[in-house]
This record gives sequence, structure tokens and C-alpha cells, in this order.
Amino acid sequence: MTLRVLVVDDEPLARGGVRARLATQPDVQVIGECADGESALAAMGTQRPDLVFIDVQMPGLNGLDALERLPPTERPLAILLTAHAQFALRAFAAHALDYLLKPIDDERFADALDRARQALALRRPDASASRVAPVYASRFEVRLGQRVQLVDAAQIDWVEAQGDYAGLHAGGRLHLLREPLHRLAARLDPAQFARIHRSAIVRLDRVAELQALSNRDSLLRLHDGTPLRASRTYVDALRAALLAVGTPA
Amino acid sequence: MSLAVPAVRRGADVPFWLPLLAGLPLVLCMAVMALPELGRGRAVDFRVLYALTYLVWIVPMAAAQRGLRRRGVSWWLAIPALLALSYAMSLANNALGELLAIRLGALPRFEWKFLFQQLDSCWLALITFAAVHAVVDHYAALQAERERVREIAAQARDAELRALRYQLQPHFLFNTLNAISTLVAEHRNPEANRMLARLGDLLRATLDSGEAHEVSLAEELALAGHYLDIEQVRLGERLQLDLRIGPEVLQAAVPPLLLQPLLENAIRHGIALRLAPGRVALTVARDGAMLRLSLHNDGVPAVPDAADDEARPAAIGLRNVRERLARLYGEAQRFEFTLADDGGCAIDIALPCRNLAAFVPAPA
Repeated sequence: MTLRVLVVDDEPLARGGVRARLATQPDVQVIGECADGESALAAMGTQRPDLVFIDVQMPGLNGLDALERLPPTERPLAILLTAHAQFALRAFAAHALDYLLKPIDDERFADALDRARQALALRRPDASASRVAPVYASRFEVRLGQRVQLVDAAQIDWVEAQGDYAGLHAGGRLHLLREPLHRLAARLDPAQFARIHRSAIVRLDRVAELQALSNRDSLLRLHDGTPLRASRTYVDALRAALLAVGTPA
Repeated sequence: MSLAVPAVRRGADVPFWLPLLAGLPLVLCMAVMALPELGRGRAVDFRVLYALTYLVWIVPMAAAQRGLRRRGVSWWLAIPALLALSYAMSLANNALGELLAIRLGALPRFEWKFLFQQLDSCWLALITFAAVHAVVDHYAALQAERERVREIAAQARDAELRALRYQLQPHFLFNTLNAISTLVAEHRNPEANRMLARLGDLLRATLDSGEAHEVSLAEELALAGHYLDIEQVRLGERLQLDLRIGPEVLQAAVPPLLLQPLLENAIRHGIALRLAPGRVALTVARDGAMLRLSLHNDGVPAVPDAADDEARPAAIGLRNVRERLARLYGEAQRFEFTLADDGGCAIDIALPCRNLAAFVPAPA
């Protein structure tokens, strides 16, 4: 599945930043660039991109207006680029998929792109629904010098990415597992663990409180008092998972 | 209309009915004065007439007094004018009284000399009403003035708090820019990028945050998290964080940028000076009606001839937090700073624990 992407920003350097980040994604094809709202509107009409990265503040027709000119059924998925968080609310009113604040954060960028992939998969239902039930790991081997220690999945409070390692926080101690977070994530049972941002995973029954923030992210508090930030990209799924687990949120 | 002379008006106009209401009890006084005359022929009838006419006359009196005040007429002109007006009204009253007397058969015909006799019952009442009106006006003006003084004080406090908040930025900004420049020089692009994004978050939080002098603890923790991310890139293993937040405090109101300067102080003047890894521990919890924050960090033993403590850049951040807490909460807050011999530093803060109105995301 290829993502056909249009990049819209009046500043060439800003477009370059988006293009450079997209170039690392094999499933993304940049089909064009526009420097203003009018030409973006035309390009969205003729080229029908799947996804558009569009700057909010542009001379003439701004990014939000350009999107709103299109009938909802013809609108591509949109990720807005803006320097100011106050555009976020209007962005959601225009049914934008996400917004990215400048300077762009690589993790947020990857999160937003993931979200576009998921949304597009929903729009294009294909036959890959039948999958082999995956087997989830129940314990992990952690090396401490010569010694090998086993950490039960049930002991883990939360996991954070630390370069090529995953840091397992269990009972106030940190164990380093030589495995990148994204690979570890696939081995954790989604009924017990949930992603909260690009570089953190939390065990659902450890979550004590969830407080929404003004930028649509959330702040979690674990039972042991640890505060963790949850990115808006994952908050909805996290809430649903928390309710399924029956933990007070 | 009074639009032409708003500059002369002192304070807001009182509602028209308010002095009238304040003048009503005078009718009671009239009734009390009439008591000894009960049963003495027609005297009560005349008293009732005077009371009723008083109620009618105070309407034009109030209108006249209001008009004089709105035009900014000075008191030495307004007083004779009101006296003359009320005198004319009293004469009219006496004329009515005489007509009543003729009607009741107590007086054979209209007598001009009676017109100027026994004016007290009506004129004094109207003069008293004018005085009551003046007191009501004066009280309203006083209230408006007090309100204005309060507003000015609030604005001054706003400006001070804003200035204190802006004072924090450059200090942090240059340190971070320097760290980014190092990362760029070392071709550590992803880290440089992450730090730029975090710096953007921090600047947005300080420059874009509007005029609010309080944010929820959750927002402040998220912001402190952005800052700690930056320091973690710089210091790596050397910085060991231990944050513990108690239950039911995420919505508590705290001044924005409360934690960041404290953490910056703990890191730059504690952890960053150490060769061995050091720990920064923050706990926030509710204690009865207070929100307690305690921050502890490892440090290095102080050099005996260290520079004046208040001149250290770190002291700016601490003093800034202390001043903002004092401005916002006065006597209700506490700020304690202790420096141990081994360089470890502890800050204890207590402030009134009050929930900020919940943030409700707008429907998408």
C-alpha cells in the first residue's frame, strides 16, 4: 500500500523538512509540492493525494481554508503544520487527522504518519484480516554483566526506548533489554500493554489517573506515582484499552 | 443624554430607583411626627396629604439632582438650586393643602399668607431627601473608586508576574541553543532535532500561554517533562530522575513555570557539577488543604570561597519562583531552601491546593 502525499508550505525550507522525513519511508510517494493555498486546492482536486501535509499560515488562501473549500468526501487526509497550538482546535473542527507543531519533532511526525496509514487502511479495506494469532512473551531475559535475570511481563510497570535498548521499569528498578522498543512492542500482549507515545509503553493495570492537557495530549499517573506523557496520537486507543481492562481512568 | 460629559462623572451612575428607595423611610419619620396629632380634627388628613405629595415630589427632585450631578454642576450652585426647587415644591404643597382645607370646609377661602407658613413638614422632608440622595451618590462613587484601586492593584500584580515569567526565558534559551549547536557540530542530527522540538514546546508554553497565572499541575509536569528530555539528552546516564506524584493532584492549580526553574537549578548546579551520576527526586502530593512539592538533588560540596549566593544565575530562578509564589498566594504559601554540606539541595514548597476548572476538549 503506497501513500501518495502532497506537501504544502509557503516556505521552501519547511517543505524540504517534510520531504526529507518522508524520504526515509519506503511506502510514501511524494506526488507534488505547493507553495500556496490556491495551487494546493487545485492539486488536491486533480491529483487526489491520499495525504496532505499542509501549512496553516500561508499568504492568500490558508491551509485550513483550502481544505474546507473541498467537499468532505473529496478531502484527503490532512496533517496540519503550524507554529501555534491555538490552531489545533480549528484543525480538529476541519477533521484534520493530526497537527504538527514547528519545529517538527521526528517522533510526532512518525506518529502522525502511522495514524495516516491506519486511517487509510480503514478507508481501503483489504483481505489481510485473517492473521495467525500472535504469541506474546511472558518473560524477558535481561543481562547484567555475566548474570542473566528474568523479568516477568506482569512485573513491568512501563517501558521506555533508550536507543537500541528498551528500558523495562519494574518495581522501581530499571532493566535494560537489548531490543528496540518497536520490536518489543509486537511481543507484548495488547490486552495488557499500550503504546502511550513513540518511545513509551505502559502496562494498563498500572495506570491510576489520566488527565487531558490543552494540546490534546494527556498526562498519566501510575499507581507508584510516576507521571508519564501520552501523545494525542495514542490517547483514544489508550482510553479504550483502559476501559476494557476495567481500570479507573 | 449625558453622553457629552462623561469626564465629569465620578464613578458609575446609581440606578434611578435607589435614592427613591433610600428616601422612603422618611415617610415613616413623618408618620411618627404625626402620632401626637392623632384624633385632633383634620390634622391627620393633612399629614397624609403631605406624605403622599412627598412621594410624588421626590421623583422630580431625584431627576433634578441626577441631572445636576451629570452635568458636573459644582455643589455651591447645586445646593441653592435644589433648595429653591424644593422650596417651590413646598409652596405648591401648601397650595394643595389649602385647597383640601377649603374642600373639607375648614377654610372659607384661599389665603396667600398661609402659603408661606408651616413649610417645615414638606420642605425639611425634601431637603432631607436631597441629603439622602447625595449620600447614596457619594457611596456609589466611593465603591467605584475602591473597585478602580483594586483593578489597578490587580493589573500591577499581573504585570509583575508576567515580567517575572519572562525573566526566566533567556537564561534557559541560551543554554539550550548552545547544546543544540554542539549536537549539530557533532552531527548528532536526530538528537539536535528532538532538542529543537522540545525547545519549541517550551517557548510555546511560555510565550503562547496567554495571561493565565495558574495552570494545572498536569500541564506543568508535561512542560517540565519537555525540559527534562533536553537535559537527559545532554547528561544521559548522569541524570537519574525520580518523579512521584500523589493521587488527585493533577488538576491542582500551580503557577506556570514553577517546576522548570527548580529542576534547572537542581540539574545545572547539582547534577551537572558531579562526576558520578546524581539523583533528582521530585514528589508532589496533597497534604490537607495544601499542595506540597519537594525537590531533592545530589550535588557537590560547596567551595568555601564561592561567589555571593544571590548573584549566582541559579539563584535568579529560585528567587523568581519565590517571588511569584509570594505575589500569588501571600501568607498562604511556604518556600524553604536547604543546602546540605555534601552539596545536596532540598526545596520544600507548600501552596493552597485548589483545583483548576477541568480542561474540556472542544468536540472534534
